[in-house]
Amino acid sequence: MEGTGSYHRDWSEENRGRQYQQHDQHRQPEGSGSHYYGPQGDHSRQGNRIPEEVVTPPLAASASSGSLMAAAVDFKTHVDQACRAAEEFVNIYYETMDKRRQALTRLYLDKATLIWNGNVVTGLDALANFFDMLPSSEFQVNMLDCQPVHEQATQAQTTILVVTSGTVKFDGNKQHYFNQNFLLTAQCTPSNTVWKIASDCFRFQDWASSN
Amino acid sequence: MSERQEEQKRHLQLMKRGADGNEEYSGTFQVRKKESSYFQDNCGKRNSCEQSEYKPQPLYFQEEDDSVEMRDVQDELQVRHTPCNVTHKRKVKWHYQSQIHITVWKNKKALENKVGETMQDRTLRNWFKVTIPWGRKYDKEWLMNSIQNHCSVPFTPVDFHYVRNRARFFIQDSSIASELKDVSYKICDEENQKICIFVNKCAAPFSVQNKLEPEEMYQLEMTMNKRYDVTQQALDLQTLRFDPDLVGHEIDIILNRRNCMSAALKIIEKNFPNLLSLNLCNNKLYQLDGLCDIIPKAPMIKILNLSNNELSSTWEVSKIKGLKLEELWLEGNPLCDTFSDQLTYVSVIRSYFPKLRCLDGQNFTSPTALDISSPDLVKPCQKTCKEPEELRNLIRQFLRQYYSLYDNGDRQGLLAAYHEESCFSLSVSSNPEDIALNSLCDIYKESRNMKMIKDDYLRLQLLKHTKHDVVRSLCVLPKTQHDLNSFVVDLLIQTDTMLCFSVHGVFKEVEGSSQGSLRAFVRTFITTPGCCSNLCIMNDELFVRVATAREAQCSLSLQTPTSVFNFKPTLSQEQQEMVQSFSTQSGMNFHWSQKCLQDNEWNYIKACEVFIMLKTEGRIPMEAFQ
Repeated sequence: MEGTGSYHRDWSEENRGRQYQQHDQHRQPEGSGSHYYGPQGDHSRQGNRIPEEVVTPPLAASASSGSLMAAAVDFKTHVDQACRAAEEFVNIYYETMDKRRQALTRLYLDKATLIWNGNVVTGLDALANFFDMLPSSEFQVNMLDCQPVHEQATQAQTTILVVTSGTVKFDGNKQHYFNQNFLLTAQCTPSNTVWKIASDCFRFQDWASSN
Repeated sequence: MSERQEEQKRHLQLMKRGADGNEEYSGTFQVRKKESSYFQDNCGKRNSCEQSEYKPQPLYFQEEDDSVEMRDVQDELQVRHTPCNVTHKRKVKWHYQSQIHITVWKNKKALENKVGETMQDRTLRNWFKVTIPWGRKYDKEWLMNSIQNHCSVPFTPVDFHYVRNRARFFIQDSSIASELKDVSYKICDEENQKICIFVNKCAAPFSVQNKLEPEEMYQLEMTMNKRYDVTQQALDLQTLRFDPDLVGHEIDIILNRRNCMSAALKIIEKNFPNLLSLNLCNNKLYQLDGLCDIIPKAPMIKILNLSNNELSSTWEVSKIKGLKLEELWLEGNPLCDTFSDQLTYVSVIRSYFPKLRCLDGQNFTSPTALDISSPDLVKPCQKTCKEPEELRNLIRQFLRQYYSLYDNGDRQGLLAAYHEESCFSLSVSSNPEDIALNSLCDIYKESRNMKMIKDDYLRLQLLKHTKHDVVRSLCVLPKTQHDLNSFVVDLLIQTDTMLCFSVHGVFKEVEGSSQGSLRAFVRTFITTPGCCSNLCIMNDELFVRVATAREAQCSLSLQTPTSVFNFKPTLSQEQQEMVQSFSTQSGMNFHWSQKCLQDNEWNYIKACEVFIMLKTEGRIPMEAFQ
């Protein structure tokens, strides 16, 4: 049994996907980084193992609605959660894209859509095909921003908007600056939250000029 | 030793250079077991070949004095000091214990040309070889173009090839030679290193030296004509060496040899310039320097079969990337084994040939959409998007209204556009070397780049929440003028309750320290349908960067909007009825009917008159009636 305030990191092969699972149920909401499992951004992964899913700790049970204070706490919690998920996601996504391209589609929902320089690709099969054909890549993300999406738009399905920018070099092509944004939706279970891509929009900054 | 024997010995020493004779510019001697087995296979083949009149040579050849020197086979110098008048050749097959296989070929008219200087001799004189050390790392086309640019007279490089890391070619004119010498250290490569060029006198290049005799050319031409399929525009040169006609005439066409390849290409250029398909299967090709010359001669080639050759790396294949191939066969080459997985292999090859549809018999699905270097992929594909026109109109209308409020006045009108609990954040491109960006960062101080800002509190502060906060922070940003013509919209998600899209475009800053600067932006809106087909913004993320020179050029003169749209959420009952009947009467859709009425201050009669007038003038766009 895991104690409170600690998390169990299991590096064994079979638990690969769950290695960031946090079993702590008693986190204080106003805690800053130290209480959370915080993704350390660019930390090196042990054994070069890239997680296959984007997983964050579950949201603390929100305070009863009605009071303004509660509403404020809710928003801050949403923002924090969004930031955690966004950072974790961006690390996993681009590493998977660069080093384990075949596993990339696991990060997408079944009906996810990709718009790649204006070309629409829908559904996991088409996405798998598309990523197979795309030459190998080297991404460098320089900018990351995120926002929690208001539930009125998402019909209570927790969603976050992630916006990234940086440079990418595809094999055999010159380097491009790119902008990319994602809509990630959460699939919540009591023990963790798994984020998947509902929509992905990618464009070179120089998309207008032909190569 | 007789003079003839002397000659023989000299040629022997010459010819020992490489398994395929010194016809190859390989630079290294390759001891190949394969070659000997090839030979044995040959022998076997020939013996079983019924039509052949060719007598197999004895397996072992020994010179009379039985002391053939084995020179240092890595020594290239042999070739440099070759006397020009190499006129004496002989067909010999050797088989030493170390299994070195050397092939030499025969010139029947050997001794006759020794007397006096003939035309042939003149073409063999005055050659210069131009060497670019480290030439291997440059793209051939770029390199040759750069050199040509520094040369006042156009020249044709002969026998361009690579020797280890060097690139080398030959030219005949001494004036060009001296010009090229001067070009050394004048060309800068991408890493700002100067390219050095050596020019030396030398013997004639192999394709010239060992030029095929006219009757050999004729025979080769006949043979190639036979192998050409007019209906497919396809030329089948597989296993060319053992073509019965050629063998019958004792002509050895070994395509690895520059002279043979160049002869074959000459015939292709003359007879089949519109060649579509070329089969070079089974020709033991281990380099494609010679084949590279085919690009200007038969540029339309779409199908190329190089299977079952000896190509050991994709670098060889990259030499012919000037061909716009759609179908390529490479199986049976050693290079195929160098890849750990199929996908990498396929993607490397496809990177050389963007139009490739089929590799080793495997078709790719929808290649054109995925070719990232093709302009099609990079251009916005408004033609193929599946969103209904109505949706696009909705977004267009939204953007027009939004930016007319954003660019004019005090932006307070935007309060109507945002939801009570909407969010906004701003991010700025972060290229540290870009000086222009520093000014950007000064202006857009509230940039929320989570890669730079790690503090939770600050992250929260920079995310504006509630519409008043949002509009307040928008008002702080410099005044702008957006170029709506530059906008490109990607629709991310469309559900009953959410419409999410990204807008890419440019705007100009019209005030402040960077007045006149052109910016490029990406703005992602997440909206819900509000009342009366208006969109209500829930989330708004703005990314700003400095516009490139090209974007500045493309951006048309930014137009001032002619009218400021009021972001009125509702029409009164009466107005709605007016819109309805106007629409029925005019045939225009609600949106345009409303627009017409609005523009005419809801004066129905006036609106009708204006409509009729505009209609007769043909100034009403088609979309108004859809």
